[in-house]
Amino acid sequence: MNALDLLSAVTQVIYVLIFVSVALRTFRQPTRAHGDMTLFFAAIAFIIVAARIAALISATPGWLTAIEIAVLMALPYILLRLVDDFTNVRSVIKRVAELGLAAGIVATYATGPALPTPVTLYVVLYFFVVSTYCAIAFIRAARRSRGVTRRRMEAISLGSILLGTDILIAGLTPLARPEDRAILQALGQLLGLGSGVANYLGFAPPPILRRAWQEPELRAFLARAASLPRLPTTVDIVRELEHGAASSTGTTARIGLWNDETSTLRFWEDDGSTIDLEPGRHFAGRAFELQRPIFSTNPIRDNPDGAANYRSRSVGAVLAAPITAGERRLGVLTLSAERPPIFAMSDIELAGLLADQAAVILESRALIDHAARVRAREEATRLKEDFLSAAAHDLKTPLTTVVAQAEFLERRAMREPGAPADIAGIRRVVRESKRLAGLVGDLLDATRLEQGGLVGEREPVDLATLAQEVCAHDPSDVSVCQVEASAPVVGVYDRRRIEQLLQNLIENAKKYSPERTPINIKVWQEDGEARLRVEDSGIGIPAADLPRIFERFSRASNVDDRRFHGMGLGLFICRGIVEEHGGRIWVESEVGKGSTFHVGLPIAPGRRLN
Amino acid sequence: MMDLWAGGPPRGRDGGSSDTSRPEARGHGNHDTVLVVDDDTSILDTVSAILSGEGYDVVSASSGQEALDAVARKQPVVILLDMRMPVMDGWAVARALRSQGITVPIVVMTAAESAKRWADEVGAEGYLAKPFGLDDLLATVERFRGPNEPTN
Repeated sequence: MNALDLLSAVTQVIYVLIFVSVALRTFRQPTRAHGDMTLFFAAIAFIIVAARIAALISATPGWLTAIEIAVLMALPYILLRLVDDFTNVRSVIKRVAELGLAAGIVATYATGPALPTPVTLYVVLYFFVVSTYCAIAFIRAARRSRGVTRRRMEAISLGSILLGTDILIAGLTPLARPEDRAILQALGQLLGLGSGVANYLGFAPPPILRRAWQEPELRAFLARAASLPRLPTTVDIVRELEHGAASSTGTTARIGLWNDETSTLRFWEDDGSTIDLEPGRHFAGRAFELQRPIFSTNPIRDNPDGAANYRSRSVGAVLAAPITAGERRLGVLTLSAERPPIFAMSDIELAGLLADQAAVILESRALIDHAARVRAREEATRLKEDFLSAAAHDLKTPLTTVVAQAEFLERRAMREPGAPADIAGIRRVVRESKRLAGLVGDLLDATRLEQGGLVGEREPVDLATLAQEVCAHDPSDVSVCQVEASAPVVGVYDRRRIEQLLQNLIENAKKYSPERTPINIKVWQEDGEARLRVEDSGIGIPAADLPRIFERFSRASNVDDRRFHGMGLGLFICRGIVEEHGGRIWVESEVGKGSTFHVGLPIAPGRRLN
Repeated sequence: MMDLWAGGPPRGRDGGSSDTSRPEARGHGNHDTVLVVDDDTSILDTVSAILSGEGYDVVSASSGQEALDAVARKQPVVILLDMRMPVMDGWAVARALRSQGITVPIVVMTAAESAKRWADEVGAEGYLAKPFGLDDLLATVERFRGPNEPTN
């Protein structure tokens, strides 16, 4: 026995074993795809066995050769049927292949066992063309799919290419020089062996290989799973889950989430639009309603409502699994494929596991969202409590002086009617009453602002002059207030409110600046807008606090609230005044260097700035 | 007792704080010293004026540090202590005093709702919730008046 005989024997044994394995599988699960697979390997096995028998009896009967040729010609046709089992083959191509096969068989029988060269060439050509078509079809299917399905399709396309090449070589061997025939035969054997194994692994991968092919995508998905709940939106999570499920199963995956408001399952299309599905409708709705996986190998028959959709998207198999966390029905995972054999029985279990994983991720997301809402509520409550405590402190401090001092003045006047007036005591009452009035005014302004009625009657106001007046009217003179303005900047504003705006900004600047440091104000006109700038060299505002500095009750985190009393209303009122005038206010600041507040107000009345 | 008196005799006036004790009150022979601590000068002046009018020897401090300095000079019969103050707040003042073993009674003055809790926190003998009236103030301080109390 030489090496070629050994190779030949091994190839033949492997083919027969593959045939037995596939036949057993067909016996257990009689589907069309399994039947075609069995036929495919049976055809090859038959040719092998026939050749062995012929070798044993040292002669090939004519009828056996005719059957062999017929079976050989049927082989690419069976492959074409398998293409159709896994993806779509146009029926016209199927008909042409059938006609070609019939013509070949008729020609073979008509000419007898000793085939004339044109018939041999026809048989080889038919074989080659159909195999090549199949190979191309599987390559295209591989490029459309991913994960395990892609690997299966790649294996089958390799098998088809090898088979086509093998037959080409077998057909051409008789034409070759005798000394080259042994090499060509050996090559043919190798190609046949490769083709058989590749086809077997692609058509009917053993579970262990299927799992190995699924592993990289599953591993990648699980590696990402932990980070998914923290994606920006739920839709982002859904997209990632769909991608993970699709690549792990080698199918197309869609996830629908239960929407309590609409009582529907909501799916997100690639273009961002949504599709709402009522529970009980289609496979997804049914799997959601029944709370168990549903697998259909014939969706058009099982769900005629969706037939048009299945045809247009060429869906030939659907697997839907509910996404449920404990008692909470979150949604549904739908896997679809062009043809049923893309799925393995283990995919039902895998889909369940993927749905469970999705449930965990979505539930974590819900918990994260819930925690964020609780935190936001707590923060709002804290702000309110801070405000109440600051308001209480700010109001009660001057009130203490007013009450106690007034009572003391009263007692004194009663006890010593003739005594000279306690001027210092009276001044304290007056000063603290005014302070109280200012605080009450702020509180009322903040309330009015919430109702949008802060700004009243408007008149032409020169911002430059007004700024100079407010600046000059500085009772404390602990800081140096300077106004820079080269020309009047006149707009139509509520004078009292703009004055309040300037006062608040200047007081703010003073409050957070060292004594005797200049407060620089600039008033100018730019691009049809009145501009105002109040610059200090105070403690500054941390960058993290800037976005919220104009909000109600908000105070920068570096403000020691025991040192700087305040209700956090000043800038809130400033923003209200500016915005009700159709203007804008913003701030630039650096901690330790100071802050610059900018105001832009429209010059022409009623024009809103962006 | 400790060397709390080592700082010398009580000073009528020191930088920043305004001692408004009036000569005629001292004339009544009441030497009970009350220390008033508040960063709000209006409250400081008002409380000082009222207590001086009742014959107390009033020392006022507008910051925590001034308060500690004043206690070191002369231990008062009671300290009226504002809680929310810049730099060194009421808690810090109370802690500093207690850590020095000074057990002078403290009355917490605060506008906060949690006046009583804050009083408990610093181990104060009482509290005055702002805004307090004349009678509240006098009745509270009265409790700490020494045995050599003159009739007014």
